Amino acid sequence: MKILLITQTRNKKGQAARTEQPLLTDILRIGRGTDCKLYLPDPRVALHHAVVRAAADGTCFIEAETGAVSIDGSFERAGKMRVNQRILVGPYELIVLPGQDNYDLVLSVELVEPLREGVDEVRSQVKAGLQSTWLSKRIMSWSAFALILLAFLAWPVLNAVNQPPAAEKKEALKHAVTPDAAWDVGPLASAHASFGRDCNKCHQLPFVQVRNEACEDCHKTIGWHFPLKTPMAKEIHEAVFPGTRCASCHRDHKGPDGLVRTDATLCTDCHADLKSRHPKIGTPNISDFTKDHPGFMLSILQPGKTGDGAIVRVPQGDKALAKENSGLKFPHETHMSKKGIRGPDGKVMMECANCHVRDEAGIRFKPVTMKEHCQSCHSLEFEPKATNRQVPHGKIPDVLDTLNEFYAQAALADTPIDVVVEAGIRRPGERISETKRQAALTWATEKSAKIARELFEVRVCFACHQVTPVAGTDSQPATWRIAPVAVTQHWMPKSRFPHSQHNTFECSKCHQVTGSKSSADIAIPDLKNCRECHGGNEPAKDKARGTCETCHGFHTGSHKAGVPAIVPGSNVPKPLLQKVTTGAPGDGAKQ
Amino acid sequence: MRHRTVLEYKRYRYLKLAVIIVIAAIAGYGWYTSPVGRYGGTLMGYGLGTVGALLILWLMWFGVQKRRYRGSSGSVQGWLSAHVYLGSTLIVVATLHAGFQIGWNVHTLAYALMLLVIFSGFYGLYAYLRYPQLMTENLGEDTLDSIVLKIADIDREARKLAVGMADNINQAVQDSLQNTRIGGGVLAQLSGKSRSCPTAKAVALIQASVRQVKGEDARTNKELYALMLRKQKLVERARADVRFKAVLDFWLYFHVPLSIALLAALTAHVIAVFFYW
Repeated sequence: MKILLITQTRNKKGQAARTEQPLLTDILRIGRGTDCKLYLPDPRVALHHAVVRAAADGTCFIEAETGAVSIDGSFERAGKMRVNQRILVGPYELIVLPGQDNYDLVLSVELVEPLREGVDEVRSQVKAGLQSTWLSKRIMSWSAFALILLAFLAWPVLNAVNQPPAAEKKEALKHAVTPDAAWDVGPLASAHASFGRDCNKCHQLPFVQVRNEACEDCHKTIGWHFPLKTPMAKEIHEAVFPGTRCASCHRDHKGPDGLVRTDATLCTDCHADLKSRHPKIGTPNISDFTKDHPGFMLSILQPGKTGDGAIVRVPQGDKALAKENSGLKFPHETHMSKKGIRGPDGKVMMECANCHVRDEAGIRFKPVTMKEHCQSCHSLEFEPKATNRQVPHGKIPDVLDTLNEFYAQAALADTPIDVVVEAGIRRPGERISETKRQAALTWATEKSAKIARELFEVRVCFACHQVTPVAGTDSQPATWRIAPVAVTQHWMPKSRFPHSQHNTFECSKCHQVTGSKSSADIAIPDLKNCRECHGGNEPAKDKARGTCETCHGFHTGSHKAGVPAIVPGSNVPKPLLQKVTTGAPGDGAKQ
Repeated sequence: MRHRTVLEYKRYRYLKLAVIIVIAAIAGYGWYTSPVGRYGGTLMGYGLGTVGALLILWLMWFGVQKRRYRGSSGSVQGWLSAHVYLGSTLIVVATLHAGFQIGWNVHTLAYALMLLVIFSGFYGLYAYLRYPQLMTENLGEDTLDSIVLKIADIDREARKLAVGMADNINQAVQDSLQNTRIGGGVLAQLSGKSRSCPTAKAVALIQASVRQVKGEDARTNKELYALMLRKQKLVERARADVRFKAVLDFWLYFHVPLSIALLAALTAHVIAVFFYW
């Protein structure tokens, strides 16, 4: 199909101009779309408005596509194109011109309805696009940006840099909101909560990690893992803890209980392979309580000359060494007999708690004393006819003085008691003669010596104490030696064992004493006993926790650590001798 | 050929990258144990935090990049695909960085802003996948401007016809010509509706007056009714178009300011953490 398009245009002055465009095409598509052969760029024209095709007889016809076509004043779907026909496509007028030069179709095209001014009025009523409203991304963005930086960066930084005087600061910290509150990453450990609003207490220097000095401002007595008293200890410390800060382990802002590490790796990182890592330390490798924890070592108090002797560390498993030498005779078997034991008022069934009384902390036990726990049964009466009198419990001279005083008084008194029959009975008011007086005193001296011997060697003292007679000399009268008493109070001072947390068990679950005939027997439970209930590092079914930290503390000087740890590498032979330090740090956690 | 969405760009190239990042982050988080717990302050925490912060900065660079897509660094579609997928990975990376810990502080503020930015982005993605099709269905061959022109034509015809009609009808038509608002304020644009639209009123009035006019007026009335009804349909389509455009744009009024707010909170977060180290 050969087509000639004649486009009529007019300039502003209304002068006409025409351009001719010959086309050779099968179909002539008319529309706003750029793919249309007859391109009509006007919004009122559809993209593919209409199409012109050649019919079989050689004539052309126009067919509406998506737009409406008016042929000679009436809207049609399709129609034959005849010469001089007036076809309206939107605002365009197409006129079919007479054929020329073998063209199948000659078409004049003119925009007859240009956009009118009324359009502007309609446009003024259209307000599209959110950018035309009050909304502004720019303003919203900048406001949010500035607000956040001011509130959460500038304010806290300025506050931290310009620290007010202490008094002012104290007042400022009482305010409901403090400048750096928004920086707080989480709740502090309960011990730090009281000063927690004062961030600079710990965070003393900007962009510097919390320094040990900040911790040591308050924690003055806390020590390292072992005392740094010797050069070797210092050397090992440097090798084991290079660059370690307090905060390496103690991370705060992790909740009330989050400050202290309780994981096994705290210890096993080194202790699982301590022998090869640090051979100088000489401590065995321990990786898990259930696997390779060595048998317990017991700290046994030695009598010494006066009872304030040394503590000997002995392996619990060494039956020959693990004997208590308390200087006392005390068969638990007799006292705890199921048949009962004779008391002042008849038979009694004794219980552990009759003698072993929990200390105030509920952790260990108060010392057993003669006065409170023994004397009600083990009376110190010496004269069967005077049951209201007892010798004092303590020094031998005091006992002898008491006896002498008692019998002399009895012999010389105006109203003699019936114990002094051997010295002769006086009538009341009768004046004693010198001869009788000498005889009475001689009797009293002999009597008290006899009774003393009975007390020390047969009846009273001998029942509990190891008593040795000491022969008299010219200057010294005969006397007795009482073996020093050394009752061990803390068997395992390097661990902590709160009895209060084991209340649910009978004492006998761990302490087997009913068959014990000797005070040398030690009834401290062994490793196996603890393992019955306690697991190791990993949680285990039906087992209580058993990480290192369950029993041991890390720091010297800590209330958890027991008595100060041994200086590593000090070459102290085992069993290790250590001076007793009563009331040593860690007393609160003794067993 | 079927139109490929940004999600399918280059056979899901960035989805694959995102999956790798997520798996690596989860594996790293799971593998790395620290005696002081899993949180932002450990070595892995610092690592995940750095990855997250770099991702955020890179994703924000998209806002700059798309304004000059004639640059040589890839197509806008590619950038958008990466923006969507890598942005989504931040949900995992930042959550693991934080070790699932949240609180009332600037750190969680940054985290919350980040989530808001991401989820507003998800909405934006949904809008981009859904609304263009609705817009095409609504407009058909037209554009908003062509509808306006058609309305202007109708207005011209209607004005001519209304001149000869009763005062009240003429007034109603004039009101429609002068006061029919398309779009307008934020709510008007987003709702696509106009309360007491004068064109709708005019249509109702002319319809109601059909029985009251006779003869030649009745024919004019009918023509006018047909014109105004057409106008009403055109106005509705124009408003729908404005609404779609507004909805398509509206989420950006969250996405962009929130991401700028996130940039501020992220800056405060990083500085705060190291200021009080």
